[in-house]
Amino acid sequence: MNVTVPPDRLLLEEDLAAPEFRCGEFEGRWRLVTIHWPYVVVAVSAAERPNAPAEYGFRFECSGYRQTAPTAQPWDLEANGALPVARWPTGRHILPSIFRPEWRNGTCLYLPCDRFSIEGHPDWHHQHPSRLWQPARGIVCYLEQIYELLNQSDYTGIRSA
Amino acid sequence: MSKSTVFIQLDGREGLIEAELPSTITGAQLHKSLAALDAETDDATFVFIDEEDEPVKRKGKESLTLRPGTRIHVTRCRKIKVTVNFLEKTAEDHFSPGARVRRVKAWAVDKFDLERQDAAEHVLQLCNSTSRPVSDTPLQQLTDGKRCSVCFDLVPEKRVEG
Repeated sequence: MNVTVPPDRLLLEEDLAAPEFRCGEFEGRWRLVTIHWPYVVVAVSAAERPNAPAEYGFRFECSGYRQTAPTAQPWDLEANGALPVARWPTGRHILPSIFRPEWRNGTCLYLPCDRFSIEGHPDWHHQHPSRLWQPARGIVCYLEQIYELLNQSDYTGIRSA
Repeated sequence: MSKSTVFIQLDGREGLIEAELPSTITGAQLHKSLAALDAETDDATFVFIDEEDEPVKRKGKESLTLRPGTRIHVTRCRKIKVTVNFLEKTAEDHFSPGARVRRVKAWAVDKFDLERQDAAEHVLQLCNSTSRPVSDTPLQQLTDGKRCSVCFDLVPEKRVEG
């Protein structure tokens, strides 16, 4: 029996096998954890901070990929559920504006490249052009931003630390 | 013979080429292997391993180690001239094509004597654009291989608000 794989899933799998994603894995920036379509869980490495993990999980919902941006939420890799707020990453200036548990009940990041967060924020197209979703670059575009945030000096560790 | 997965970057080409190459290889063998991967080199081409300052010798006989995930830069640029503007000040220096934006920012922060907190709140943005390459971006990726220079403005990072 032929099972038709939807085009959005095919495109995602293509991007997860592409050199740009694989290079990030080899360089230890991120690693693929699971794919349960339309969800993909990726762990992103973080700079060393006291009492903070070496990586954070993120669950991306990828239906409509790549034309439609994914949406991502912090994910507990062990419990396979939403990451408790106390263990969300935070920082001094930039990170608290993006990792906002109160935004949509913590189901997405407050980033212009996020499918849900960009809704209702037309100003972001001018204010944050480098943070917008780029269909041609795919999921790497979103992952690079998360990695950048978790590896800059603004990042201080987890909220409860 | 053990092999390593490597990622090859060419001038003016979007994306990387993934390849398997011997983990231990001479410069001459590396150039030959690159040619077989459509990354032909000539006397005007340089090959760099990761962020190394010196290119691989074209006819080199010494052994090189390619660890898994090595980035190989095939480029016409021997060095890349980097200019960074910050307020009314400008700094210039030369970097290897494999040098990452992170290294340039650290150099600029030092040059402009920024406090740690100020440094955290600034990012490098390509001059005359809104593009802010992530810190892992190699400089080669920001050139076309003809003009071996990159210009950045060191600008404040904005909080996402609204």
